[in-house]
Amino acid sequence: MKRRLSTLGVNQRLAMLALVLGLVAVFAAPTGGSRVTLDPKDLAVIVAKEVDHVRVQDLADWIITGRSDYRLIDLRDERSYAEYHIPTAENVPLASLLDRGLARNEKIVLYSDGGIHAAQAWFLLVANGFKGAYTLFGGLDEWKDQILFPRLAEKPTPEEAARDARIREISLHFGGQPQTGAEAAAAPARALPKVDLPAGAPAPRPAAKKRKEGC
Amino acid sequence: MAPATSTAAVEAGRAGLHAVTADRDRAAPYANPYLAGIGLGLVLLAAFVVMGRGLGASGGFNAMVAFLLNTIAPAHARTREWLEGYLIAGTSPLKEWLFFEVIGVFVGALLSGLLARRVHVTIEKGPRISAGTRLALAFGGGALMAFGAALARGCTSGQALTGGSLLSLGSWMTMLMIFAGAYALAWFVRGAWR
Amino acid sequence: MMAPFFKFGMFGEETSLVLAFVIGIGFGFALERAGFGSAKKLVSQFYLNDLAVFKVMFTAIVTAMLGVTYLAWFGLLDLSLVYVTPTYVLPGIVGGLVLGFGFVVGGYCPGTSVAAMATGKIDALVYGAGMLFGTFVFAEIYPLVERFHESTLLGPVTIPQYFNLPYGLVVFAVVAVAIAGFYGASVVERLVAARAKER
Repeated sequence: MKRRLSTLGVNQRLAMLALVLGLVAVFAAPTGGSRVTLDPKDLAVIVAKEVDHVRVQDLADWIITGRSDYRLIDLRDERSYAEYHIPTAENVPLASLLDRGLARNEKIVLYSDGGIHAAQAWFLLVANGFKGAYTLFGGLDEWKDQILFPRLAEKPTPEEAARDARIREISLHFGGQPQTGAEAAAAPARALPKVDLPAGAPAPRPAAKKRKEGC
Repeated sequence: MAPATSTAAVEAGRAGLHAVTADRDRAAPYANPYLAGIGLGLVLLAAFVVMGRGLGASGGFNAMVAFLLNTIAPAHARTREWLEGYLIAGTSPLKEWLFFEVIGVFVGALLSGLLARRVHVTIEKGPRISAGTRLALAFGGGALMAFGAALARGCTSGQALTGGSLLSLGSWMTMLMIFAGAYALAWFVRGAWR
Repeated sequence: MMAPFFKFGMFGEETSLVLAFVIGIGFGFALERAGFGSAKKLVSQFYLNDLAVFKVMFTAIVTAMLGVTYLAWFGLLDLSLVYVTPTYVLPGIVGGLVLGFGFVVGGYCPGTSVAAMATGKIDALVYGAGMLFGTFVFAEIYPLVERFHESTLLGPVTIPQYFNLPYGLVVFAVVAVAIAGFYGASVVERLVAARAKER
């Protein structure tokens, strides 16, 4: 009898605990809501260390080797995107960045013409708990400058020659026009390559069958 | 401690021990369902926190079927559209999270059973039917369950427990229908159990 | 440190399989502790004399639900990365019914059948074989049911989303309903036991 009473007591105590937790939970906002949380110190450290930057050379490498563990986002308007965009980039205007279903654990590389919009988008994502946001350092301008239209040395030394060969190779891969010093100074050619590579968006998402996550 | 209190303590201890061992020898001593439920809920929570997914069981059986079919008749297996997710080239169908989880269920249940001395080879059935009938019903029931689980995309563990705790609409509907279906049929199969 | 750990790349697939095993052990242990390694106990739910299935299941749901809600609320768990099975209305309803039929005919559900196998129940073993067979049949006839199986998709929608209610409110409602249900269950059990004694 005594044992049964104490067991009843346990159940009732559990029920009360559950009720209290349930009542408090009424005020829960588990899906984030619209509050934005940032630790200024963390932010300062990130910015100072520049760990959120991706160099154009690295991006070029990733594209050439076909890496698909990141998403490249072009933040400009449709027209600019249609005129030219970095291959594998998706066009997502800044305003709809949060509605695009980007996952918080994905690696997201943002770029705009210079870097201001990319920086602002980066801030937006980081403030909303996105852990994998990066900016393309220098933006499209840097991409054009270093990848599409690199200026190569007029009379390269042996080391420079090897490096230049690689740069030239990459530039040509993306339809660019490497120029040697003299030409560049004279008439910098800036014709952007035609974009016939498929737009980023749904295609890169692995069509490879993924294991079901359900029951 | 005064001598009287310490004797009382010893007496209480002895009584408690007796209760525990006596419990062990009874045929149906089970944990307080609410405590067991909390334990189960914490395991489920652990799965959410660690993996971002919940528990399941029918998926483990699906993986097993995919594996067996692929071993016995691989060409035929490849034409089974529904098993596509389990037959990814280059990796075994058994390298499936749910399959390993199900093996764990076996081990965990064995552990608990051994601790409670509840492991014995037997056929559970109602008093009015024969063992053979029971086994036939078990086979049929299993087949029905598998079919239902495939349709509903989960079973009681995957849909009711996991989906239920995540407040998934479909999961709650399925859970209600499971109870409805079982209660509806219970009277008709009462001969098997009572 | 952010949860779900796996989705933030804290460990790889191999480790996740080991963890699956470990988590499974907890699952199986809890099931057997509750007595769900016994078909007779499980089926008693549907003859109303032992409502442990309801009690265990809903306690587990409430526990995990509260855990998830609080962890997400405190920013420790990213709920958007926890997988929610998409809602397919018709297959979910019909499948659920069939699941219920199978439960009361076979005496187990897939998870409990494994727990029962571990504690020596031959009928659970046969049940498992039946499950493999049923799955095989489904895979074979899939083209016939495919259209039905893929119909009425609503996506991974939750009750708060569908009825446009605050998440926390639904959580509280579930807790309240569960507790009321537990109280009701004990009343039903006592009534049924009393009636059985009269016979």
